[in-house]
Amino acid sequence: MEFLNFLIILFVAWLVWRRPERERLAFRLMVVSCVLMALMFLIATHGALLPGVNL
Amino acid sequence: MNGISEARLRTVLAWAVILLTAGPVGMAVVLGFAFGESPCIMCWAQRVSMVLMALAGLFVLRYGPRPRYLGTVVLLGAWGTFMAIRHSALHLARDVGQGFAASFFGAHTYVWSWVVHFVVLVVLAVLLILLREDEVEKGTRELGRTGRFAMGLFVVVVGANALQAFVSTGPPPFMGQGDPLRVSWNPRNWVWTFRGELRGAVTLRGGWNIPKPDPAHVEADAAPAGGPLADLPVLPVQAWETVGAPLDGRLTDLARDPATGRFLAVTDRHGVYVLDAALTAVEHRVMLDPGFSVDIQAPAGAAFLGDTLVVGTINKSYLLIRPDPATDEGEEWRHFLETSGGMSELRRSRFATVRARQMYVSSLAYDRSAHEMVTVSVPSPRQRRMVVSTFDAGDFMLSGEFLPRLGPDLALGGKRTLAEYVVTGAVVEDGLLYAISAAYSTLLVIDLAAKTLVEAYAVPGIEQPVGLASRGGELLIAQADGRIAVVARPGRAGPEVAEPAVTEVGAGAVPPGS
Repeated sequence: MEFLNFLIILFVAWLVWRRPERERLAFRLMVVSCVLMALMFLIATHGALLPGVNL
Repeated sequence: MNGISEARLRTVLAWAVILLTAGPVGMAVVLGFAFGESPCIMCWAQRVSMVLMALAGLFVLRYGPRPRYLGTVVLLGAWGTFMAIRHSALHLARDVGQGFAASFFGAHTYVWSWVVHFVVLVVLAVLLILLREDEVEKGTRELGRTGRFAMGLFVVVVGANALQAFVSTGPPPFMGQGDPLRVSWNPRNWVWTFRGELRGAVTLRGGWNIPKPDPAHVEADAAPAGGPLADLPVLPVQAWETVGAPLDGRLTDLARDPATGRFLAVTDRHGVYVLDAALTAVEHRVMLDPGFSVDIQAPAGAAFLGDTLVVGTINKSYLLIRPDPATDEGEEWRHFLETSGGMSELRRSRFATVRARQMYVSSLAYDRSAHEMVTVSVPSPRQRRMVVSTFDAGDFMLSGEFLPRLGPDLALGGKRTLAEYVVTGAVVEDGLLYAISAAYSTLLVIDLAAKTLVEAYAVPGIEQPVGLASRGGELLIAQADGRIAVVARPGRAGPEVAEPAVTEVGAGAVPPGS
């Protein structure tokens, strides 16, 4: 899934660089990438979402 | 208006993107290709977060400092900081040099992730403070030379990351791993998986979600016959006594000073009482102030350490208190909510355990022959084991820990374990730890030298035992209601044992302040 996320980010960078008129699509894809990144972290830590120390 | 123009901000931002891309993100991928350094699944998420912050910077270069892009950077910075704290928490409290994976400039990658996200937030805040408000316009901007360089570098570095991610984590639905392998270009060494990270239930605290025991009440079967040890001999209650002195709160432990015959009683309202040998008169009394310092939860253990009183709490904090006629009452106001006077607090600190970590206790004993304090852990649904921990009574540091073995004369029924017993009171005599369990009303006798449970006795008729004290050849089982069951003390030395000499604790034996 990390590989997929980097591909999305590369596509967004290409849009911003070469197709700046597709700003809305680029931003939406960046939001998708952010959500995917957060989801991957939550999957990794779902057994204990909060830090494993005295809170 | 003073401040920087949007054009200047975009130049600064372009360099920030270049630094972020070439620095932590670029170096990470170089380390992967050159040295095989491979990120775990949490590292990947933090690396992607840094890449996304740089990408949001490129959005600002192209479209200007619009709130949605700046807000995205703030959100990523905050989330990245949380991720780094969550990740670092796995390793920060370990011993010196015991981090995870490689370190750079004295810190591990998860700490650098924390630093990077924090610095990005600070840089963004400074830029926003300096930005002239009337300079921001809508529309697409030319990237300029620096901007194009930033863009090109970003594409190259992210492309390299994508390549490493393909090798290390695979195409969807495969994902990063908790314990990654080193990077290899040989496909036979590629491990692509996704099932490992999906196992287990979703929880907030995981192994830290330990229910607090009530030192005065244990929800458990009190009938000895239901316990894990089968066919135990009965230790009959020979007599009943009562704590006649008025106590504030429920009794949670009772200790006896072999030198003077006085008793030390503690209650769940942080009351500490020195009682006379008849248990009827209060000689000293304090109500502990549990706040504003080391976390003092419900007292669950009491012991005499010479003329020093040791009070232990369920969360393995402890206090050293000493009756002292020369006490400065004004000085003690900070320690005690109430006091009868003549009592000084010498120290409050914490016992640190290893095997009993993430476990509460409900007992405390003093082993005079070894000059050690002893605790027995309380099992929980997440930590199902019985751990005996001993602490040097000089420095109060851990000196030993063990899970008691089963003696040859004892047998556990079926799949039962010793962790079903809930020890709420303990006392040490002649190298034997006597521990009373509120669950199944059972007295456990543990040989501390052999680390073995050598004997166990059913004690029918007791209810909610909270403490255990020794008086000659007797054991006094204190209940939460203040009643005391008197039983004969079993063990190798026989029922009538002479009082051992008391180890006096001078001021020099008390460890320095916390």
